[in-house]
Amino acid sequence: MKAMVALLAAVVAIVFLLVWQTTRSSEFDWHLPTDIPPPLVPANNPMTDVKVELGRLLFYDTRLSGNVSMSCESCHIQALAFTDGKSQSVGSTGEIHPRSSMSLVNTAYASRLTWANPLLDRLEDQALTPLLGERPIEMGMGGREAEIGALLQSDELYNELTSAAFPGDENPFSVLNAVRSLAAFVRSINSYNSSYDRYLAGDSDALTPAAERGMQLFFSERVECFHCHGGFNFTDSTTHANTNVDRVGFHNNGLYNLNESGAYPADNTGLYDMTGKARDMGRFKAPSLRNIAVTGPYMHDGSIATLQEVIEHYQRGGRLIEEGPNRGDGRLSPFRSEFVSGFELEDGEAEDLLAFLSSLTDESVLTNERWSNPQRP
Amino acid sequence: MTRTMRLARRPANSLLLATFLFVSSACTEPRTPVEFEFVATWNGEAIRCDSDPVRLSDLRFYVSNIVITDLAGREHDLALTANSWQQENVALVDLENGEQACRNGTKPVHAVVTGTSTAAEVGAVRFTVGVPFEQNHANPLLAEAPLGDAAMHWHWRAGYKFLRAGIETGTDSFWIHLGSTGCGGTVQNISACSSQNRVAVVLPEFSPDLNLVELRLSELFRDTDLNDGERGDCSSGPAEAQCAAPFAALGLAFGHAAISSQSVFGVLR
Repeated sequence: MKAMVALLAAVVAIVFLLVWQTTRSSEFDWHLPTDIPPPLVPANNPMTDVKVELGRLLFYDTRLSGNVSMSCESCHIQALAFTDGKSQSVGSTGEIHPRSSMSLVNTAYASRLTWANPLLDRLEDQALTPLLGERPIEMGMGGREAEIGALLQSDELYNELTSAAFPGDENPFSVLNAVRSLAAFVRSINSYNSSYDRYLAGDSDALTPAAERGMQLFFSERVECFHCHGGFNFTDSTTHANTNVDRVGFHNNGLYNLNESGAYPADNTGLYDMTGKARDMGRFKAPSLRNIAVTGPYMHDGSIATLQEVIEHYQRGGRLIEEGPNRGDGRLSPFRSEFVSGFELEDGEAEDLLAFLSSLTDESVLTNERWSNPQRP
Repeated sequence: MTRTMRLARRPANSLLLATFLFVSSACTEPRTPVEFEFVATWNGEAIRCDSDPVRLSDLRFYVSNIVITDLAGREHDLALTANSWQQENVALVDLENGEQACRNGTKPVHAVVTGTSTAAEVGAVRFTVGVPFEQNHANPLLAEAPLGDAAMHWHWRAGYKFLRAGIETGTDSFWIHLGSTGCGGTVQNISACSSQNRVAVVLPEFSPDLNLVELRLSELFRDTDLNDGERGDCSSGPAEAQCAAPFAALGLAFGHAAISSQSVFGVLR
């Protein structure tokens, strides 16, 4: 009888714990508008406030780089919608990355991460590359990953937060839990409070007349930006918790056409580098256009400085480079996407498009304290 | 050059072997301990992290699915001894000591692979340089040694670096990271890889007591220009022209070049 009671008590306790855990996780407040579906979250890394807080502290901690010179923030600055304002990012040891830093805003919804990696669909896996990668060296912790676990243990605040964020974990002080926390923090960064969002919510004055005209152009078949930059995140590589569709799009937008073969510079061939298939040359993910006005320079290699020039690029339907090692006419590339066929614009229409793109900036995500530097003493 | 080392090792081996055979039960096929040693060379001379004029900057690689052919021509799997360098079918060989030009490497070295097989004597050996598919795409943060070493993993390609080898000479240097590319699926669920890039090594007439497995770096980099003043590298990417030469030496397909037989690994007699 005693044993029965003990067993019953144990079962009740376990059920209570399970329910409490699940509820606690599902109760995470994403601060989303009602018309935006919640993002997908890996079952083994549920969102909790304490985990997000731990991830936030780690995100801004230079001790996550080999020479203590940079943190995740170095390439992902909040005021720039978590980009770095550079054409190409620079690693902790000075190596120049072939690619431009991508915005981290709304990456919880990205069906694939980074510019052209068809394999990477979870932030937990992605975080390992900047931390440990060697070509180029970014944070420079490759081969020193044990130090990350040691930091979680030795730092008093990290120790406390890690224990709280990963209860029941035999050894919570691990690289695995560090990247889980970083992923949870990055996953929490969302932005649906732009002029455009307020316009959609019924505030017809939220868009200027120019932005409204630009919106019509953006979604028109003539200019057809929306084919690749569609949906609530303005990218066709979007997924969320209420869909079973794995939407992924990689496109060649005619930036390069080396040797008239359609080739891209060897250090930046996009999807081709991952698949080795000729047809994938120069194919990159269409990035989200949310906050695009503050995330220049543009393109995977930062090779276009301003949004105005980006519009000119698509208007021409490919880029002509007349001189130098990268010379060639991207408009004639055999791999160029059929959605990048060029278009005519009337006077003032480029300005209208610019006004619309600027209306996608959400000032609150650039300053919200939930994602700002915690300024540890 | 390593003859004294070899000779010194031999009696110990024989003693160990005799003891093992003695205690083995007669009703199951007796398992014989086998160990063989790897050595890196440059034009026939041992190359280390402080050699001159060509020195190592890195040399670590996975060896898996080792099969021994006995003197009667029968094949036997080598079951590796589990330790921090080996699990049943895959071992990490580490020939750099973290010093001098290898400063970005690790201090411990692991040149001798150990295990047991049902072969009474070794006539020949074949093995794969690489990690088997099933283990190659598992989560490295949850993997047992020697697959828990993040420096040996390529997170963005979702698999291991099968081989990392580098040399320096004067102002020139070159390194290669070899691994599977063109993989389909997603990180947690890789389906298959179009370029597996596993190196098949066959060593006929190999006696572990008398011979070493030689990794000829001068052969790996035979067609790499080491006098162009450039720090070259190859990360196994399909667009990396500098991969063509070392891939050919490893017998791997690259671009229009088809699979051939490798010439980098051989027997040092």
